[in-house]
Amino acid sequence: MSIVVSDICPTYTTFFGFMGAACSIIFANFGSCYGTAKAGVGVMVMGVLHPQLIVKSTIPTIMAGILGIYGLIASIIIAMGIGNEYPLYVSFAHLSGGLCVGFSSLAAGICIGIVGDAGVRANARQPKLYVGMLLVLIFGEALALYGLIVGLIISMKGQNMKCTSA
Amino acid sequence: MTKYLIDNGYLDGLVRGFKTELLTAADYANLTQCESVDDMKVHLLNTGYGALLQDAPSPITAETLAEICTSQMVEQFKYIKFHGYEPLVTFCNYITYGYMIDNIILILGETLRGGDPQHALTKCHPLGVFEGLTALCVATSPAELFQLALVNTPLAKYFGACLTVEDLDEVHVEIIRNMLYKEYLYDFYKFAQSLGDETAEEMDTLLKFEADRRAINITVNSWKTSLSKDDRAKLYPCLGELWPEATSRLQIVDDMEGLRNAIDHIDEYREMLQVLQENPQKTLEEVFIEHEIHLNKLALSRCCQYSTFYAYFRLKEQEIRNIVWIAECIAQKKKDKVNQFIMI
Repeated sequence: MSIVVSDICPTYTTFFGFMGAACSIIFANFGSCYGTAKAGVGVMVMGVLHPQLIVKSTIPTIMAGILGIYGLIASIIIAMGIGNEYPLYVSFAHLSGGLCVGFSSLAAGICIGIVGDAGVRANARQPKLYVGMLLVLIFGEALALYGLIVGLIISMKGQNMKCTSA
Repeated sequence: MTKYLIDNGYLDGLVRGFKTELLTAADYANLTQCESVDDMKVHLLNTGYGALLQDAPSPITAETLAEICTSQMVEQFKYIKFHGYEPLVTFCNYITYGYMIDNIILILGETLRGGDPQHALTKCHPLGVFEGLTALCVATSPAELFQLALVNTPLAKYFGACLTVEDLDEVHVEIIRNMLYKEYLYDFYKFAQSLGDETAEEMDTLLKFEADRRAINITVNSWKTSLSKDDRAKLYPCLGELWPEATSRLQIVDDMEGLRNAIDHIDEYREMLQVLQENPQKTLEEVFIEHEIHLNKLALSRCCQYSTFYAYFRLKEQEIRNIVWIAECIAQKKKDKVNQFIMI
């Protein structure tokens, strides 16, 4: 199996494709990490005085973890799409798709972290806030979902393109 | 601004929620018309104090009411300290140092008068209680005071100038209070400057007024004692609108006329003294408290800075003082004086 090189498939195309796969998982994990850390600290501080609310309060942490999964999905789809015949068109599409998913998940992770932290502490003081906190978290999570949808649509473009014009 | 909101957004919002629970003019009108402290308790059950007052004993005394109201403020303060990140926790610690100084002077004064130190401990403000407080009862000189009680506390660094005071008697205890408070105000001011532009600006206004108020009070109080002019100058805080030129004039002032001339150039203080002239039944302290409440409300109207916390706890303290005043007037049947509190 040899890599086809031509004008529309220069040798450096794979750089962009692999960068897309890498960015997707890296930034999604950054977002997930920030979200888990910030919301987790809130759960720890709150749980000292209200242990009965701990399990309910892990919702923000779970929602932050989902962001890592979005990045994983996108990375796997991009990595599977990198083959021997890899036009520059497709590699740019993969880069773009990876960046979409990565940065959107980073944004959503920051949002879920900050809101989750304040939300679990406020929930301990005022139990009726639980629904409100969930609503805000869902709106934040939606950002990553938008990024995943756009990223996947973009990454799937040009799948059957060939390197030679024949 | 974003960093402040990320770290302290929840607690800032919580404190603003607390502020809406402060007693209103309608509440005060109800309270002043009560016949007994028990009636006051019934009215207060509908306010933010309700949760704590429900378990209170039924023929309630004014002291118990005061304790319960103070315990609500302490609970709020401890919650904020528990959930805060740096630098909010350090900021809250700075707020407690003021109460610590008051507690130290309270216990020292009680010990010197030959009273029971344990009784004084019960009168201490809960926010200013620290471990070495009980050891103060046996101190006989400032150096011993320092060694026994203060060396491990954050107040240790304020004690430098106080070691020169020769002995501990009533007058010198007040001098120690003013010296400690002077150092504490300056330290708090420097810390607030490091917290960002908006906090620096607001705390600047609040702490400068506090310093000027102390300077004027020191001047007025020293007319009744044998404090020398040099000693008086050492007690003026090193910040405020009045420092350094007006305090050097205040140093030699001996009566109200001289005081008026010395602080004439600052509009607010000139107006305050004019209010005093027009209403002779008001005291200087009342005029100062009114201005302080005004400044604290302004600080609360600004967002994304730490003076929110400082201003709220000052307002809460004033509210508790109001409740205690009304309760004492009602308990001692002095209903003509019951309206002499300052509304927030």
